[in-house]
Amino acid sequence: MQPKHNLEKLEKTATKLRLHVVNMVAPSGQGYVQQGLGAADLFASLYFAEATLDPANPDWPDRDRIFLTTAHNTAILYATLAERGYFATDRLDAYVADGSPLEINASERMGAVVEATCGSLGQGLSVAVGSAVAAKRQNRASRVYAILGDGEMQEGNVWEAAMFAGSAGIDNLCLIADCNFVQCEGPMNRVMSLDPLMNKMESFGFACQEVDGNDIGALLGAYDIARTATGKPSFIKANTVMGKGVASLEGLMFHQLRFPPEVAESARAELEAQL
Amino acid sequence: MKATLTRLEAADFINRSFKPLPRAYGDALVAAARTDERIVTLCADLTFPTETEAFRDELPERFHNVGIAEANMIGMAGGMARSGEIPFCHSFSAFITKRVLDQITMQVAYPNLPVKLVGFLPGITTILGVSHQAIEDLAIMRAVPNIAIFEASGPEYHAAMVKLALDWDGPAYLRIKRPETAPPDFAHQTLEIGKGVLRRDGGDVAIIAAGLCVGESLRAAEQLAGEGIAARVVDMASIKPIDRDSILQSAAETGAIVTAENHGIIGGLGSAVAELLMDEGIGLPFKRVGVQDQFCEGGTTPYLMRKFGLDAPAIADAVRGVMKKKKG
Repeated sequence: MQPKHNLEKLEKTATKLRLHVVNMVAPSGQGYVQQGLGAADLFASLYFAEATLDPANPDWPDRDRIFLTTAHNTAILYATLAERGYFATDRLDAYVADGSPLEINASERMGAVVEATCGSLGQGLSVAVGSAVAAKRQNRASRVYAILGDGEMQEGNVWEAAMFAGSAGIDNLCLIADCNFVQCEGPMNRVMSLDPLMNKMESFGFACQEVDGNDIGALLGAYDIARTATGKPSFIKANTVMGKGVASLEGLMFHQLRFPPEVAESARAELEAQL
Repeated sequence: MKATLTRLEAADFINRSFKPLPRAYGDALVAAARTDERIVTLCADLTFPTETEAFRDELPERFHNVGIAEANMIGMAGGMARSGEIPFCHSFSAFITKRVLDQITMQVAYPNLPVKLVGFLPGITTILGVSHQAIEDLAIMRAVPNIAIFEASGPEYHAAMVKLALDWDGPAYLRIKRPETAPPDFAHQTLEIGKGVLRRDGGDVAIIAAGLCVGESLRAAEQLAGEGIAARVVDMASIKPIDRDSILQSAAETGAIVTAENHGIIGGLGSAVAELLMDEGIGLPFKRVGVQDQFCEGGTTPYLMRKFGLDAPAIADAVRGVMKKKKG
């Protein structure tokens, strides 16, 4: 059987996205480098293979919806949107510049491609649930994806939304937790652990899978299974590694990394060598 | 391929790039806690940005990072305060007020408990954008009974914020903006409940300002002096209870008032001053400087102050306007 997607091409896309992340954050030092590098495979697989989107018509009513509820992870989001054709890649140069809509927290100043403004953590899943319910009532094929950070799942609002989705069996909803195990303070278990997260989500009525969030093939397989779930929302625990793809940054757990020029230069050289 | 760094080298560059900022508020809180056993500190995963890392490290048994869960933090603080403790709760201004308003109302304000709400990133002055901006927090908090509201105009008043919060026998909201770069050396200044600070005297017009707008007002007053306008500047650090006497005195002595705040013009300091003047039957040329009835965006502080009309030139323009009316 012919594989549905060209894995090698998607991996190359992820590397391109990583290079954008480095180039976008390097000039000002503002932006979440480690999280962007860690989530690049998730974004590449979702936006370039799994989701049904039309960059020429970002508000197409039958599109799949992707809610980035960890709205600060914008370097990777904007890089993805540009490479996917929503806007020209040279607009990435204005990342976090005064006056630019490419703000550090994604806002709907970007247009319909930002499904909701979510910088205040924990709110996005509710909006995703609402749009999934609406898509069902309107008989649309749209699937709704919500990308949450694991730290964000400490917000109570997340669990109210999850309880509703599970109770109502919203099966066009797929919640992806980008689990990099770090929050502002440091490793999550130093503050408040989510464990056992899989059991929690199962008990809330989700069809659950745990995958290596830096393995594009595994992510694609998980999306396939999620699409077949009936009567249950899906949960994918995607374990990601901060700084993935750049050997000098891989596994360094900085929530807010300063990005000294020496480090940016080294990261750029590493990624360019991979392309 | 160019030479690349090892992970150890990268981590070393990164660690050395962190530049420490003064921690006047955080250090004052630790000092107060050393003498008052009742003080405990809560934060919702913003330890460094709220200057509470020294408290965490020096008094760990009295420090709780509750995770990214602000509503739970306020409820917990209510329980602690009912048990005789004085909890200082920390987050950004947007989250420590708007996000948890109902918990504040029912578990803090109504029982009139000594829970101190400390909000960093007041107003519009953050790169983090609309989700992290607080342009309506003063309006909201002013409307809740029992809560006192204090705002620092600069790091020299940050230690005084702790004392004000403790002097107020009930819930208080502190609005504090951390300096973005290391400020010049400063001496700590004191503040009093219900008292503004006369920062510059002048008989033609009074600028009643709070927070970041105090410095801008002083710059505006300097510029206006060159045009022959003598503007006094009152730093209204005590927004609730407000300094009635100094406002009424300013009205009587200058006959024209401009207010300036890092907040929307609806419901904040400007509204508080206007309400007092109307209640006292005083009509005079008056203008509120603040964010107009609109949402903002993320950006650098000077850019935002300029764009949304909070900086010295905007304040000076407002003063020229009221002076024209006064003479007219």
